[in-house]
Amino acid sequence: MDFALDDEQQLIVSTIRRLVDKDLGAWAADADRAGAPPDRLLDVAGEIGFLVDAVPADADGLLEGDYSHATRALRGIELGRGCSALAALLECNVEPSLAVATWGSDAARAALYGALTGGKLATTASDWAGALTIDASDDGLTITGVLGPVPCLANASHLLLCAKAGDEPVLALVDTATLSLDPVVPSGWRAAAWATLRADGARVPADFVLARGVAAHRAIDQVLSWYRVSLAARAVGAAQAAMTHARGYAEERVQFGQPIGRFESLIGMRDQSETATAAARALVLQAAWELDAGMPDAANDASRARDFAGATLSRTAIDAVQIYGGYGFVNDYPVEKIMRDARAYEVLLGNEGLLRVLAQKGGE
Amino acid sequence: MDIFHDHPMFGAVRQMLGAFAKQSIRPIAALHDAEESMPWELMKQAQGVGLAQTSLIDAQKTIAGDSDEPDEHGKKKPRKSARVACVGSEELAWGCAGIALALGGSGLAAAPVARMGTDEQKQVFRDALRGTDEHGRIKVAAMALSEPSTGSDISSLQASARADGDHWVINGHKQWITNGKSASVYVVWAQTDPDAGRAGVRGFVVTRGTPGLVPGRKEVKLGIRASETAQVHFEDCRVHRDMMLGAGRERTAGLGDTKKMLDSTRPVVGAQAVGIARAAFEFVLERVRTSELHGTPMASHQHLSFALAEMDMEIQASRLLVHRAAWMADHHQDNVKFASMAKAHAARTAQAVTTRAMQMLGEEALEPGHPVEKWYRDAKIYDIFEGTGQIQRRIIGKQLTGLNAT
Repeated sequence: MDFALDDEQQLIVSTIRRLVDKDLGAWAADADRAGAPPDRLLDVAGEIGFLVDAVPADADGLLEGDYSHATRALRGIELGRGCSALAALLECNVEPSLAVATWGSDAARAALYGALTGGKLATTASDWAGALTIDASDDGLTITGVLGPVPCLANASHLLLCAKAGDEPVLALVDTATLSLDPVVPSGWRAAAWATLRADGARVPADFVLARGVAAHRAIDQVLSWYRVSLAARAVGAAQAAMTHARGYAEERVQFGQPIGRFESLIGMRDQSETATAAARALVLQAAWELDAGMPDAANDASRARDFAGATLSRTAIDAVQIYGGYGFVNDYPVEKIMRDARAYEVLLGNEGLLRVLAQKGGE
Repeated sequence: MDIFHDHPMFGAVRQMLGAFAKQSIRPIAALHDAEESMPWELMKQAQGVGLAQTSLIDAQKTIAGDSDEPDEHGKKKPRKSARVACVGSEELAWGCAGIALALGGSGLAAAPVARMGTDEQKQVFRDALRGTDEHGRIKVAAMALSEPSTGSDISSLQASARADGDHWVINGHKQWITNGKSASVYVVWAQTDPDAGRAGVRGFVVTRGTPGLVPGRKEVKLGIRASETAQVHFEDCRVHRDMMLGAGRERTAGLGDTKKMLDSTRPVVGAQAVGIARAAFEFVLERVRTSELHGTPMASHQHLSFALAEMDMEIQASRLLVHRAAWMADHHQDNVKFASMAKAHAARTAQAVTTRAMQMLGEEALEPGHPVEKWYRDAKIYDIFEGTGQIQRRIIGKQLTGLNAT
């Protein structure tokens, strides 16, 4: 067993770390206040290979050979340290790119990759609660209903939709021009260009339906596993950042004659968070490695990783605010933002705990 | 059987303020949260129906029909005011914790004036709150205690008051002050004698416009955004000696008395946390009762049903602790330990219930203006202000062992 990073992974981690420390971290507060990303984000990200890293090289992307979810997870941990909202925008193209590469028609490939290499964004949504009505009676799909809010959707040209048409799962690439998008700014990931989609008989042509039925069930499982591991990795990074900030504050803040970081209750609180974050990191990387290796348990562990990392971040953010006390409740310090940001990691893609229980119940 | 509420008044208060919360607070809660604005119109209406900014001074004893007269055996009669405050506070916070705090924010300053103030100080306080300000808003008061360097450790206040003839000259900076920017009158706490430690900390009534009193920046907060929180600065602020609280009561008028006051407010703060938790619980209970998931009733899923059971258990337990602590206060019993338990447990419950409620709802809870997301943000302050969860446990631990553990 080897826990060390290979040379390429080390290079990527150090590159992203520089991006986070130099740019993302500095932009985070302003982007949060503005509810929008800085204009430079996509330019800077594009220079170091984001946005088209999962687009095949033969479609003018950067992907040669197999995509590494382990490397993406390492990248996600670093991004999560910087800013959850900006990280979401930098990561959102991956699932649509990989899904279209795996199951897409030539038409879908041309449409999506043309858009992404032209600087557009794509994103992913799961209609886990059945909010949409989808008619699949002819070759394509007709979508009606309201779904969201979905991160990155306001700036996306395409949406990778995981849903059901009646009882039949479907995975489709939806041109967002066929939808009505209502941009929203939630209290967390405020700069992530969220939108709620409204579909009133939106048409998806047959060659943009990537999979149906049993094949779609498997495909959706895979897409959501990629997404879950990415979310979990970013949650780990955000948790690391929260407790790093809190640890620094606790070393300086003096109450009752000593730095508050020396009180046993706070040492225990911090230690518990750091232990859980380390465990979450290990689980995330294991799930990512399983995805890369095509292991049978990959989907289950991806779900576990997301569930555990989300809960760990939730607890850690609350504890970090607690350590800051009154300063943690005002937005002068970064932990207030992290606590707002934490929620999306647990509620995106639905109630992970419930869905996992239902999946296991259905499998019995 | 309701062991802590043996008078129909409690039910009446619950009903009246519950209706007020539902009809008047809930409809405007999201707006004031989004705008981070005080509900001035509602505050004016509330004043009109008896929720006055000075009620702690003018009507604390009569509002609940209490009397300090001893019974025929010379014992103090039980009061109802602590329990009334808890019953009412849960209802108001169920409507919106930020608005509840805006409605009651002046009470924080009124309480020490009521407890320690001279007739003249009380009159100054009342006069300062009479009428409306230049914006046509009702006037509010602020209690200026916490400082940038002293949050939990209120014994180490840095603000100073130096005697100068008939005046005290106050210097210092105050932080996290409710109504700090808008108040018409302040009760500011400052150290009058550095060698005296806690005993030297005294309160002063200072009216807006006094030279050297400088309302500072309003804070942008995670939650309770309808309640104004701001910095307040005192720069050579001269206050007449008659405005020092507790003049002639040097042994009892210092910070120790203030700490006792905080003990008395902890059950009320706990009740507000219960109100937030109940709001989130009721929201998801209704959802689970009435909705389906993949063609089956949500309520048929043990995963959800047990989560609701867990929430309800914690809320009920928190409420019992709150009302036990209040009942003890009303019966003139030492409730320090139970007041801390009530506040700490309720704060933890509010955070746990709102977090779980968001998980149960999924993406819907991220929609701007969603009440559950707001309650999640509102809940956190209950583990911080009026003594953090750690301070409460420190108090409880000391009660149990006799030692202040570090």
